[in-house]
Parts: sequence; C-alpha cells; structure tokens
Amino acid sequence: MQPVTEAESSSIDHDPTSSGDNSVWAHVSPLLSAACNDLQEGELIHGDNFNLFAAMSALEIMDPKMDSGMVSTFYSIDEAIESGFAPVPISSDRTVDVQCIIDIMDHLLACEATWHMGHSLAQTVFSCIYVLRPERTSSHALLHSFCRVIRATCRALVSVVSDARTNEEEDLFTMTYGLPFSGDEDAKGLLLLNAVEETICRQLRACKATSSKRRVLDELEPLQTNPQLEESFCKALLCRIRFRKHFLHALNCMRRPQGRGLELARKHIAYCIAELESVLSSVEFLGSETVENGKNEMEESTTGSGRHPIGFEPTLNKRLSAPTPPRAIKLLSWKKAIDYYVKLLHNLDQICAFKLEPDLDAVLQFVVQFQKSRPDLVARAHLQLLLVQDGKLYGRDTFLTICARSLALDVTKNHGLHLNEHILQLNQLMINLLKILCANTPWQRRKLGKILNDWSVFNVQMGITVGHMMQQVTTPRTPKNGDKSLLILNHIYGWLEEQIHWVALRFLVLGFDLELYSPSEYCMVYWYMYIILWKLAEKAHFRVLIIVHSEERKAKKKEDYSRDMAREDRISLWVLLLKCQTSLAQGLTVMIAALRNEGMVLKSQGPFNTENEKFVQHFGLLQKASLPKYDAYESFSESTCHARLDYLPVYECFRDAQKMAKEIKVGYANDPDKLAEVVGLEQVAEHNIIAVNLLCQDRSLKVSFEFIHHPHFATAVVRRS
Amino acid sequence: MDSVSVYEVYIYKKPKNLLWEMEQEEAERSTTTVAASTSEGSGLDPIARVRRLLFRQMLVGIEDGRFFLGSFHCIDKQGNILLQDAVEYRSVRRSSSPSPTEQRCLGMILIPASCRTSCHVDCSVEEQLSLIQLKE
Repeated sequence: MQPVTEAESSSIDHDPTSSGDNSVWAHVSPLLSAACNDLQEGELIHGDNFNLFAAMSALEIMDPKMDSGMVSTFYSIDEAIESGFAPVPISSDRTVDVQCIIDIMDHLLACEATWHMGHSLAQTVFSCIYVLRPERTSSHALLHSFCRVIRATCRALVSVVSDARTNEEEDLFTMTYGLPFSGDEDAKGLLLLNAVEETICRQLRACKATSSKRRVLDELEPLQTNPQLEESFCKALLCRIRFRKHFLHALNCMRRPQGRGLELARKHIAYCIAELESVLSSVEFLGSETVENGKNEMEESTTGSGRHPIGFEPTLNKRLSAPTPPRAIKLLSWKKAIDYYVKLLHNLDQICAFKLEPDLDAVLQFVVQFQKSRPDLVARAHLQLLLVQDGKLYGRDTFLTICARSLALDVTKNHGLHLNEHILQLNQLMINLLKILCANTPWQRRKLGKILNDWSVFNVQMGITVGHMMQQVTTPRTPKNGDKSLLILNHIYGWLEEQIHWVALRFLVLGFDLELYSPSEYCMVYWYMYIILWKLAEKAHFRVLIIVHSEERKAKKKEDYSRDMAREDRISLWVLLLKCQTSLAQGLTVMIAALRNEGMVLKSQGPFNTENEKFVQHFGLLQKASLPKYDAYESFSESTCHARLDYLPVYECFRDAQKMAKEIKVGYANDPDKLAEVVGLEQVAEHNIIAVNLLCQDRSLKVSFEFIHHPHFATAVVRRS
Repeated sequence: MDSVSVYEVYIYKKPKNLLWEMEQEEAERSTTTVAASTSEGSGLDPIARVRRLLFRQMLVGIEDGRFFLGSFHCIDKQGNILLQDAVEYRSVRRSSSPSPTEQRCLGMILIPASCRTSCHVDCSVEEQLSLIQLKE
C-alpha cells in the first residue's frame, strides 16, 4: 500500500515523456473505463492534431475485412505442418490416400478458376500447403508432380497476363509477392507427371486383365488396396492428371512466337475438353459415398466427392495479400469451376482457330466477334499476345505492310517509308488500338474514347504533311519512286479517317453492351451512330474503289496476275453491311424523334440534366476528336425536331435496310456468325416497319424499344395498353 | 465520490523485449492496491486524467494474443481506442523460430473495446501511481 502524494502527481507535468529504465507500464484499463463512463454520448478524448477524416481511415483491428493479421487457425505454415494439418502421405490407408488426393485435385481446380476470376493467388491456389511446400511431398510422386504442374501452370499464366497487361482492373491476378515460385523445379513437374500417368495406366490395365495375365503383372503394386474400386480410382486420377498435362502443354504452345504452336495447342485443347468431361462424369463414382449430404451441398462443394479437402487453409497467406482487404473469399464450386474451364478452353480454341491472315479488317472483325462471348482475362491476354508481338502483327508484319495491304498497295520496295515518322506513329497507334480491343468491355470503351483524340490529332498532323508534300511534287519531273511513297502516304491518310470512324463506332456500340444508354437517349445515340456509320461507309467505299483500281492496273501489267477477288468481295460486302446499318440507324432516329415529337414516348427530360448536357456526357469525347466537325448537338436537334410519323423517310430507311440485308445474306452464306447478325438486322427493319404502320393508324398505342433481334439496334414493341 | 477510495494499481517493470516479457506478465506483475483518502491527484476527474495520457506510448493487448504499441490518439465513450504509428507484435508459438516475436507496422489503427483485454501506458514510476488512481 502506497499513499499517493501531491508531489508525485504533479511530476506528470514536468516529465511527460517518461522513458528509460525508470519507466513502467502502468495498467490503465480501470481508468479508461471510468473515463468512458463519464464521457457524454459522442464525446471523444483526443489531442489537438485529431482529424476525424484521418481517424475514419484507421485500420480496424479484429475486423475480418480489414485486419489481415488476425490470428486464425495457424500462425504460420510451419506451425500448420507441425500440427499435422497436411500430412504426407495423407493417410496410411492407400484407398483413403487416393480419395483425398482426388479431393485436393478438385479443390485446386476450383481455386484456380477463382483466381482467374480476379482473386489473389495467395488466397486461392496457394492456400494449399502441398502447393506451398512441394519439397515436402517429394516422396509421394503423385501428389508431388501434380502440385509442381499446378505451380508451373500458375507461373505460365502470370507471365502471359503480366506481359499482356490486360489486367488493369483485375490486377490481383499477377500479384505473386512473397509466394514461392521456383521455376526450374516446377518445370520438371511435367516429366514426373508423365511417369505417374504411365504407372497408373499400367495399374488400370492390370486390374482389367484376366487372372492369367495378372500373374505376369504381379510385381506391379495396385494403386490402392480395394480391388473393386481400383478401376474407378485409376480412371478418376487419369483424367485429372491428363487434363493438367494437356492444359499446360496448350498454354506453352500458345506462347510460341508468331503463332507457330497454335495448331498443336488446338489438339491439346481438344484433349483438355475431353478429359474435363471424364472428370465431370467421375463424380458418379466419387460422390456415391456422400449422397446423404444432399443435393444442394453437392452443388456448392469445391470437390467432386463433396468432401472437404485436406491441406487447405486460406488464411495462411493472409498477410501476403496486403493490398487487398483480408476478407474471406468465396471459392467457385467445383461444377462452376469446370464450366469456367470449358468456356476458357473454347475461347482459347477460338484464338487458335484464327487463321492469322495479314489483313487488318479480318483482325478487327475477329476481335470484335471474340469479345462478344465476354471472354475472361486469361483468354483475352492470350489473344493480345498473339496479335501484337515485337511491335508487329502476329510478330510477322509491320503495321505499314498491313495498312498498305488493306489498300492493296505494295510497300516491299519502298524501304524509306518504314522510317517515316508518321508511319512510326501509326504503328504505335495500331498497337495501342489492338491492345485496347483485347481489354474488358468497360475498360475498352473508356480507353477507346481517350485514344480517339490521339488519332484525330495524328490525322490532322498527317494531313498537313501530306498536303504539303503533294504541293511540292505536282511538278512533272519527280522521280517515280518518290511518287509512289507519297501515294502510299496519301492513301494511308485517307484510310486513317476510316479507322477513326471505326473506333468511334465501336465506342458507341459498346455503350449498348454496357447498358449506358437510357431509352430516352436512344434518339441521340442512333443519330450519332448514323453520322458515324454514314461517314465510315463512305470512307470504306472509297477504299474499295482504290483497291479495285490498283488491282485492275496490276492485272493489266501482268497477264498472269491473279486478282484477290475474295478480298474485294469481302470489303464490298462489309461496305454494304455498313450501309444497311446506316439506314437502320437513320430509320430509328427518325422514328424515335417522331414518336417523341408526337408525345408518344417520353422526351429525355430528367430533373438534373438537360438534353444538351446528356449529349455532351455521352459524346463529349467524340466531339473533342472532331467527329463530326460541326456542332453535333445543334445539327441533331435541327434534324430531329420536325420528324413526324407520317413522314415518308421512316419507311424508306427501314425498307432500304431490309433490301440490303437480303443482299448481304447471300454473301455471308458461309459465315454463320455474320449471317446471324444480318438476319437480326433484317428482322429489326421488318418489325419496325410494322410498328410504324400500326402507330400511324392508332396513336394511342404504347411503344417501347427492346433489343430482341439485335444487340445494338432496337426493335419497337407496340402494346395496346 | 469522496471519503474513502480504493485505488488499484498494477506495477511492473517495463521489459526490454516487450512481448517476451509480456508473456510472463502474470508472474512478474506486482499488484498494489492503494487505499488513500482524497488527495490532489484524485481531484482530477478521470476524463482529465485520460486526456493527460494522450500522445503517450500505449500498449494494448487483444483477445487473439497480439499486442499493439502506438501513441494514444483518441478514445470514445464506447472505449474504442485509436493508436497512431502502431506496431503489431505477435508471438510465434513455434520453438524452432529464431525470433520469439513477429512485428509489423500498421500506422493508424482502431482497437474496438470489445476485443481489448489489457491496456498499459508508458510512464515513470513516480507518476504512475497518481496517474492510475481510480475511484471505485
């Protein structure tokens, strides 16, 4: 018992920073709780430097979503291992051991798919202690080789995605900080896995063999102890092992330069898909014991058998995943993971099946088509790496060659041109464009809007230079060679404008995919699409004329010259498709404007934004890039304010579109994707004609716009009430 | 709140290796219960005395066994504490590990009252008695 004196109490003031040997840790909990009792509701004790905003961003301890240091099951991996959390072998009973390994394989598949969908590697695949510490399992060939291959696969994918840099928003994907990745050891995994596969194949053969043959194979130890289950276990393991093997092979083949491995990759992908089917069907055997779990639980399970796998602890690497909140993540179920892989494999197959034509139109159309299925990060990264390698298309042709080819010009002789600063800049712009087109849709649209400005600035600069050069060489005594490169530059300048309009169109169309437009804004969107499409069609048509002209000249010079008629037809068809879409966009603009003017659909009136403001919000980036060159809003309001339903052009536009669609259908007879799109356009035109007719007769009808026949062109749906 | 009050004060030496010693805190802790009549020190209300603790090094233990050392920044009615420039200490249970504790810097942290198990403030022997006294 010590009495407290006044002197002691006042010493606080004299020596506020007590430290050193003299200082002690004084227990203050009772004092704090007394103070808290006395505090008013909402009152704080704080110093002068207190800032509520800063305090709000404090890390909350023991909050499962913020505190990554929260001590959960284990402090460290070593501790988990010491406590027998991930034994090797998993069980001394070899049947149980095999069962558990299959569960681990299944769970790893779910982990991997979850990783692909945007979670960190540390919380998914590397939550497995066997994957984290493969050296422990070296005595267990099956588990060891499988985990090594998993690591090698992760490594390959991290490298693809980080090289492609398509992961802007999914940047957790490539985060491997603090995770053990030893490439050399993992590379051997595939060899080991092959050996393991070989052994299991023999075991499978042995258990199928008749008793007479069995004696010959007697020295071969069975996979596990229960002879009745031997065959099914062997099969269940084999399909899983083979899937991993072929998947890694496919990834490696796809990485070969200039797309040389694509054919082989396709074969591996086909194997992968087949093996996945076997994996899926093995659930009948594996899940037979756990039926009592109920169907729902099986659906949610991360393993085929429905059991919980051994050796996984998602909180182990919690502190490695620092940039992410340490919240528990929900893994995809095993069934969903398989669905994901099937989609991924189909997307990869789509890429491998691409013919790698050195034709820009084909490339752009392929990318757009590819993006329609909303491929995930891994597939998009692969596409991008295939398209742009070493600053060239497929690592083969410079973009000068590609652009010139799309104009049917020959640039092989003009050596000086590839050093031209405009051409260098063009190369860079094209590389950027292709990379952006491989990004996810929201990112893609935002980036496209931004690069439009770069393109239009470049266009203006090139226009000035080319115009200047043209003036200088109008004198007749210029060398022929110089003329040729100037001609190419001039044509490329023209083509550039077409390209800019293509980008603008893609930007507008992506707005529909992302559902950025409200029905009251359709009128202005279609008006803008009409403007862009019209110009694009005009430019593309101009290009057709250039191609036809130069091909004709070549054919005249050399009698044996074979004209690339297929390409000519293809571009003409593409121009016709653009014209069809132009008519449709025009028809929709006039129709919606008419309905609006006659009060049959709501005007775009919100309490916050005027129509003009909305116009700027949607198309500001286009206007900044001078698309079109005049005041777009003024032109839009002038051209739409007098529209009436009985106004003839409404029909005309839709009828034109319908007619053109019929023609195009013949041309695309061999291309099912294109054909489907054209049929869609035709149906939109047809239904809209009917709708206009009905609306003209009875103006009390209710009308709404839906995307039932085409994702970007709306169909008017008329209802009586 | 006058006349006879009982003050309970825990005193123990400030260890060099904080947490290592903390582990054995129960053993080393010498508990002193101070009973005294009204004095100048206790004339201050608890809020004023807690205010004097601001900016001092505070060591807070929480229920999962970790400790946080940081400068005392703020406390609210519910007893939630904000520490500035905080460092987290956790002991490694394994014997084979070279260091008995792991630490990492966290910056500003909020320790909810619900998970707080202990709370200590760095002070000199002389002042700690007066500082800590608490009317029961």
